[in-house]
Amino acid sequence: MGVEVQGVRRAFGDVLAVDDITLSAQPGEVTALVGPNGSGKTTLLLMLATLLAPHQGSIRIDGLDPVSQPREVRARIGWMPDGFGTWDALTVREVLHTIAAAYNLPADRARARTEELLTLVHLDDLGDRRARVLSRGQKQRLGLARALVNDPSVLLLDEPASGLDPRSRIELRDVLRSLASEGRTVLVSSHILTELQEVADRAVIVARGRTLETQRLDADFVTTALAAWRVDALDPERLTAWLADHHVPARRVGGGQTEVQVAGEENAARLLADLVRDGVRVTAFTPSQGALESAYLAATEDRR
Amino acid sequence: MSWHGIRTVAALELRQRLRTSKWPLVLGAWFLLVALVTFLAYYATHDQSFRSGQAMYDVVIFFVLGLAMLIVPSLTATSVNGDREHGVLATLQTTLLTHWDLALGKLVAAWAISLAFLVAALPFLAWAWFEGGVSAARIALSLVVLVLVLAVVGTLGLMFSTLTARPVASAVLTYLTMGALVFGTAIGFALSAFLVTDTEARTVYGLPDSWWQEHQPPPLDPNDPNLTAEQREQLSKSQLQPTRADCVRFTRNGTVAHTERIWWMLPLNPFVVVADAAPSEPRPQDAYSSAFTPMRWISAGARMARNGPEEVVDECQLSTGTSADGSPGVDPMEKALGTAPVWPYGLGFLLLVGAGSAAVAGERLRTPIRRLPNGTRIA
Ligand SMILES: Nc1ncnc2c1ncn2[C@@H]1O[C@H](COP(=O)(O)OP(=O)(O)OP(=O)(O)O)[C@@H](O)[C@H]1O
Ligand SMILES: [Mg+2]
Repeated sequence: MGVEVQGVRRAFGDVLAVDDITLSAQPGEVTALVGPNGSGKTTLLLMLATLLAPHQGSIRIDGLDPVSQPREVRARIGWMPDGFGTWDALTVREVLHTIAAAYNLPADRARARTEELLTLVHLDDLGDRRARVLSRGQKQRLGLARALVNDPSVLLLDEPASGLDPRSRIELRDVLRSLASEGRTVLVSSHILTELQEVADRAVIVARGRTLETQRLDADFVTTALAAWRVDALDPERLTAWLADHHVPARRVGGGQTEVQVAGEENAARLLADLVRDGVRVTAFTPSQGALESAYLAATEDRR
Repeated sequence: MSWHGIRTVAALELRQRLRTSKWPLVLGAWFLLVALVTFLAYYATHDQSFRSGQAMYDVVIFFVLGLAMLIVPSLTATSVNGDREHGVLATLQTTLLTHWDLALGKLVAAWAISLAFLVAALPFLAWAWFEGGVSAARIALSLVVLVLVLAVVGTLGLMFSTLTARPVASAVLTYLTMGALVFGTAIGFALSAFLVTDTEARTVYGLPDSWWQEHQPPPLDPNDPNLTAEQREQLSKSQLQPTRADCVRFTRNGTVAHTERIWWMLPLNPFVVVADAAPSEPRPQDAYSSAFTPMRWISAGARMARNGPEEVVDECQLSTGTSADGSPGVDPMEKALGTAPVWPYGLGFLLLVGAGSAAVAGERLRTPIRRLPNGTRIA
């Protein structure tokens, strides 16, 4: 169940958009899809959304094949494209009514569902505006509502957070978490790693159309993963010397701060204790990158 | 495919159109234009001996067809690739709507709008009917054919919009196809007529050249009082008109256009189909007034082309002014109009083209897509 992707490949002419991607997203979990621009995330999601056929490999959505059983798959998925276009003449409400009709929902059910969703994405007071005049973030929220109309068991969201204000992002996080906790499969692509780390259970890192690694983002990972910490002290020379003496990989970054790479929170705590014990007058000691960010940068390093 | 799905798509399309473009304005302009043309036709042909109803009917029907062929393609020719550009096509393709729902829904919407244009032209056809010379059944038949032709035109536009990535390209292709159907067939027929024209021996039924030689007027002055009886007889003989009894069969070399080999180009033209389906009624035998009836001329011309040259060229009627049964000569146009119509071929062809285009359009809307045209993103 959930989403299973095995060795999928898709080319456009001689552009190989997706070379070899393998991933699995479980029901009840939020799975993040991260990777550099042009790494094939959108193309993969299009294949999952039954719009593109893979040239090789297999896809299963709730055990169904999107190529041979597109209708059954469509009934189960909610897809939110990265650029959400709308019919210029329809109001927000009418957009959702139309989508509901396209899912064969009876009219009264469609109206009720529309109101529910408008409340969920905080668009109730904009319901009678033309969809085309919405701001980018509002359009993005309408896109999310649109993807939820048919009460899907698998959600495929392509950069849902782009353009959202800070509060909406936090709300989106809560929405995704609650959708997952209802037993749905949520696959979300995004570039905002710090946020993904808060919401995702698992991250799949892709680059150049290939899966590089799949990373669990549970407490275990956070406490053991290699992460960068920023250290500042009253006497930077002393700090640098101390770090060099103890063979801690470090580099100077902006603002006179020093960045050190430490594997796991346990080690970070020990490093701080040692620094203080040896009389380095530390004024700041903060994680500068999330664990996911570090993992991502490490995995995609060869790009440079 | 389901009626519910088709209706959902059609309702969406119609709502979009009615709100985004100035349809009331366009429809109003259309109404005024047709009104203007009808008034002009009425004034130009209104006369005691003329039957202005016929002329008005012909002019209005042709004008409606011509203008509709400009408007209807614009309803569908950019609908699929335009939607794709706006990013709203894929949104529907991931729902339970099938590719047929999408194709047929768009067609139904375009068709409904073209029906609105036809309805706006109805009062003027009613006026033509009121003026006399055209039966309501003919008007009804030509309207049915018009509706079908417009449906085909809309389907062609839809097909091109699924075939090209850019709306401009599909619009151009659609109008080029319209041009090929309307002007291409006429030009093609005219040009290839040279290929089927030849000099060959033909059987002629008429006055042989010798008759005229025998009846040469003698070099005599009829007012000369000194004419002999023999000369007088010679003179009166030369004043005799030829009669049917003088006609004989003989063979003569002449140029013949075998239009029966190329006539099939003509009914591919929507104008010929509409004209031939319901030309106005023949004018009453006793009235020598002629009327402006382009549909009748086109219809007769197409049928004459289909019939080809006659086995025996009947010149007798022309030179003696009488036909076999003694009545005043039968107009060859009237004769052609009595033969089988050509429009069923044309309409059949157009409907086949329409069905083919609809099938292509539906197929091109099918997802998941294996081959994507170069340079298009599906979403
Ligand atoms: N229809 C298409 N025709 C040709 N090339 C395409 C097409 N769609 C995508 N590509 C190419 O495939 C590659 C992957 O594109 P894709 O949109 O999947 O990237 P992405 O991972 O979503 O990037 P981003 O993070 O910027 O959204 C890119 O190099 C892109 O240029
Ligand atoms: Mg993308």
